[in-house]
Amino acid sequence: MSSPKQKISHVEVRMFKLGTGDCFVIKFFSGQSTSFKLMIDAGCWSGDSDKISPYIMALKEYVQNQIDLLVITHEHKDHVHAFDVCQKLFTKDFTINEIWMGWSENDDDPRVSDWKREFGEKKKALFKITKKLKSINEDPETRSQLSFEKGGDELFSIKENFLASLSAFSNLHFDDDPVGYKGLLKGMEVVKKLGKSGGVINFRTPGEIIEKKVNLPGVRFYILGPPSVWEEVKKEKGKKGESYEHNNDLPINEGFSAAALALDSLDKSNLCPFNPKYAADNKVESYKNQDNYWRNIDNDWLNSSGMLALRINSKTNNLSLAIAIEFEESGKVLLFPGDAEFGSWESWHKINWGVKSRTCKGYLTTEELLNRTVLYKVAHHLSHNGTAKKIGLDMMTNSELVAMATLDYHNISSHWKSTMPNMAIIDDLLGKTKGRLLVLNERDVPYDRKKNIQLTDEIIRHRLTMSEDERNSFIENLNSDNPLFIQFRIEV
Amino acid sequence: MEKSEFHFYPNPKFRRLRGYAFDPSISLKLDTSSVNLVEYKIKWEKIEVGPVGEYIEVIDFDPTIGQFYKAVDLDHPNVLSQHGLDPSESNPLFHQQMVYAVSMTTIERFEKALGRKILWSSRLLNRDKGNPEYAQYVKCLRIYPHAIRDANAYYSPQKKAILFGYFLANPIEDSIMMPGSMVFTCLSHDIIAHEVTHAILDGMHRSYSEATNPDVLAFHEAFADIVALFQHFTFPDVLAHQISKTRGDLLNENLLAQLANQFGDAIGFYGSLRDAIGKVNVKTKKWEAHQPSPMDYLTVFEPHKRGSILVAAIFEAFNNIYRLRVADLLRIASNGSGILPLGEIHPDLVKRLSIEASKTASHIMNMCIRALDYCPPVDITFGDYLRAIITADLELVPEDPYNYRLSFIDAFRRRGIYPNGIKNLSNESLRHPIHENLGKSGQGIDSDSDDLFRIIAEFLTDYADAIKYTSNRKEIYEITKDYISGKYEDEDGIDLESKKRILGLHRRIEVKFNKSPEFSKLTGLVFGSDYHLLGIKTSKKGNYKGAAFQIQNLRLVSRTGPDGNQLNQVVFSIIQTSRYKIVDGSFLPIPSDESESKNHSLFRGGCTLIFDLDSKKLKYAISKPLIGFGEIFSDNYKIDEKRLKAEYDFQSDMVEKVESEYSRYFGSKEAKLNEPFSFLHQH
Repeated sequence: MSSPKQKISHVEVRMFKLGTGDCFVIKFFSGQSTSFKLMIDAGCWSGDSDKISPYIMALKEYVQNQIDLLVITHEHKDHVHAFDVCQKLFTKDFTINEIWMGWSENDDDPRVSDWKREFGEKKKALFKITKKLKSINEDPETRSQLSFEKGGDELFSIKENFLASLSAFSNLHFDDDPVGYKGLLKGMEVVKKLGKSGGVINFRTPGEIIEKKVNLPGVRFYILGPPSVWEEVKKEKGKKGESYEHNNDLPINEGFSAAALALDSLDKSNLCPFNPKYAADNKVESYKNQDNYWRNIDNDWLNSSGMLALRINSKTNNLSLAIAIEFEESGKVLLFPGDAEFGSWESWHKINWGVKSRTCKGYLTTEELLNRTVLYKVAHHLSHNGTAKKIGLDMMTNSELVAMATLDYHNISSHWKSTMPNMAIIDDLLGKTKGRLLVLNERDVPYDRKKNIQLTDEIIRHRLTMSEDERNSFIENLNSDNPLFIQFRIEV
Repeated sequence: MEKSEFHFYPNPKFRRLRGYAFDPSISLKLDTSSVNLVEYKIKWEKIEVGPVGEYIEVIDFDPTIGQFYKAVDLDHPNVLSQHGLDPSESNPLFHQQMVYAVSMTTIERFEKALGRKILWSSRLLNRDKGNPEYAQYVKCLRIYPHAIRDANAYYSPQKKAILFGYFLANPIEDSIMMPGSMVFTCLSHDIIAHEVTHAILDGMHRSYSEATNPDVLAFHEAFADIVALFQHFTFPDVLAHQISKTRGDLLNENLLAQLANQFGDAIGFYGSLRDAIGKVNVKTKKWEAHQPSPMDYLTVFEPHKRGSILVAAIFEAFNNIYRLRVADLLRIASNGSGILPLGEIHPDLVKRLSIEASKTASHIMNMCIRALDYCPPVDITFGDYLRAIITADLELVPEDPYNYRLSFIDAFRRRGIYPNGIKNLSNESLRHPIHENLGKSGQGIDSDSDDLFRIIAEFLTDYADAIKYTSNRKEIYEITKDYISGKYEDEDGIDLESKKRILGLHRRIEVKFNKSPEFSKLTGLVFGSDYHLLGIKTSKKGNYKGAAFQIQNLRLVSRTGPDGNQLNQVVFSIIQTSRYKIVDGSFLPIPSDESESKNHSLFRGGCTLIFDLDSKKLKYAISKPLIGFGEIFSDNYKIDEKRLKAEYDFQSDMVEKVESEYSRYFGSKEAKLNEPFSFLHQH
């Protein structure tokens, strides 16, 4: 791979079907020969080595045990889990020349390490509460106490569901007990080690434009996110119409996570909001009285953890390394945003690229990149908070647009199903792509839950709107026969 | 004299307790600090350390750090002699005093308007677990001033408790509030009054916590806000201050029409969390008045926001009445022009305007509270509430020189809120139809039923007599229960002699109206043999085998109007539940003998029956029928598919319409775990 390459003629984007989660390889070709192999993430919601190995082995075979560039978007299990469970496959007979991560993963940056420590504490708080709630629910006393009340059994099942959702969030960030928490998911740790042992890790900041002139003439990588401003990392939603959802945006509740972290400690006096002289030594009689247990509130405060979980999740998503890959000759763009949420999308538009626009006199804008996007990797598995509307999808106006979404109803946390897929996004995507929406596993994914319409039917319906030429070329470029992956070829 | 000879002194009439009129933040602003400290005047009652009284039990336990705080003794001479502890954010004992003072003020407000003692909603027990009773009397509402670490506070209907939160402020700008300072929701008059109102409303109408249409939960929120808001008008100093500041025009920015200032500041709002008349524009940072738009009622579904529409309507009605009442004062003060000269207005005028504002607010609050007795027991809409307000007010106040009722109708109309099934908006058509003098005409109630109603009315008169002079709340609860379920044995299980036996209301209705098409017509509920077609459970008691139904909320309405007219009514509600499934888009009733299952959907119908004790007649039947309109005269009853479909669609659409990010991830029921009646819908 040392001699200068010809211009890139086409790419193959291969989406491996590990389950809900991202694992992509993009092969850049010049004519028949492979010029460059880019891998983005290797994760899925859950699965052990036995389940995931076949995919990774197929991936290795496809890339002949060598990757030019590995991009890790962010530290969630559905993006890095495979590195954990298939660690050996990645460390043996596998070469990675270079790794990219977002600037927010650079542990040598003091700003990052401070924030990570703080953020890590919040994650730990979430884990602790999940554990505590689990032990409460498992205590037979909890259930029998509740079943005494009318509707108590239903309340108990509600508590169980809440805990299951909370665990789902917690599990995204933790492999197991974080007592020795180092701030990393194991999968992430493995990747960082890979970087140390062989390839070099480069931390990317928004606004960078990177070219690989030797292997990839005429290809540019635009780094869109993670935002360099913390405020934008923290922001997950826009105003009405800007994003697909509109909600109040509250910060993480510091006092709450502090108390959560101190769950097991004996001395909590430093957390007391009042002067210690006001502390009473004894319990109030009527609170102690067993007849009144049904009214006690020892654990109700733990339910505020749902909010904490949501915030942590969004923040991590907003730390996604988001890139746009542009082909100089045709101007076509492939967009891989990780799981970026609104705050990140918004920040992309503030970037001053400093290069000329292809379409007008001024400078290139992010909007123009979105206009020219022909392949969009849908952020956050088709949920409402992954894709910005006005400043995102609405700007993807290219008639060739194809979308790839990593959603699999047969391997997903059941608690994500209510948000994935979001009907409004599906509608927009299907309209814009004329049905060229490639879902990791379409089977049983609903389109309209109420009317019981399946996504597959909607996709088929929209594909009828393609012209004959469009349809022929779509069918020619699509390879969906293999059980391990879906592949789409794009002339560039 | 010995200390123990206290009986020489009569009990005081009131206990005076100092507290914030709004919340601590108002004390920090130069122009308002002088009016924020008020003395709450609470009816004297015997209280224990806590405080624990007849109605509420304050328990200051902070579970987030497993700490009990010392409890305040409001009877301590040092506390009594200076009208309570000094207001202070850093003293938890004052926090306890504050929640006690505001809670009791709110409770007294309700008792005054309703003319009876309020009861908390009873604890419902699971009978399958061998509980001897299905409901248990709850004497005290529990109040936990420091229960959660969250920018929220809520009433838990399951625990009959209010949990207040505290949190670190995160203001939008550092100049508004000190960032990182601790905010205690239990120090906010508005939040306390709001949550206590939730609890009181739950005690009156248990089914209003079921989101059967977009208005139900919004009504709960709106009503709680209305009470908190109009209570501001009972603080004379605050009122005078704000009237002077706005030069008598309460449609200008003023504290009285705002809710939760500190809370709003602390979570990053400009100004208060909710405002009945306007808001600070986020962009211009200037205060702007709201313009009513009928679109809001069609498009806003989040309960607090939707509730704001109702609050704004009520506030507008208030303002119009107030303006009418002070028009003459303004003319006098302005030499007939009605336009006040520039500059501050005369303190005497301020005083007179304040009196009118306070009087109007008190009237409005009474109208709003009394209307609760004239609402259907389930599935309430804003339109139903308007009808209830009009009906209740016509009952008590026949003459309406200041057009109170019209002001309400107009304010609702301007927001596109119309009751279902009425032909036009007027007092006459909004008032529920009166079931009087229908005896022998072909329409309405036949004379047999009329006789039956007379017998029921006589029974209810007995109830009224039994309860009239009882001031013990537990006794009221027990007597009411006996009159509903019957009483055949004494406490020791020995049969009562026949004179003392009470044949309960429930039983009487079973016996008298079983298979009565007339009664079904009137209530919209099923008492005939067709009940299984509508998925109603079979109730088997003694010899009776028929449609199951519940009787709720038997109460005496005894009030005196401004003209001295006396109202003597007894009101109760019947609720019936249909269990169903939707299969292929149509209604499928669950067999009447099938036991409960999670997969059943429930559809409730209900009827509030109002009996006039003086004429011994049924006066109103305010119904949410189970039986479809038009089916009521046929032989085979069918379910009210229109209402059922609307309810079903609303509940399945809830995810799209009402629900938040939070409930999308955690599930809508799960989201309610910590916010069934929370002050802020924060997610």
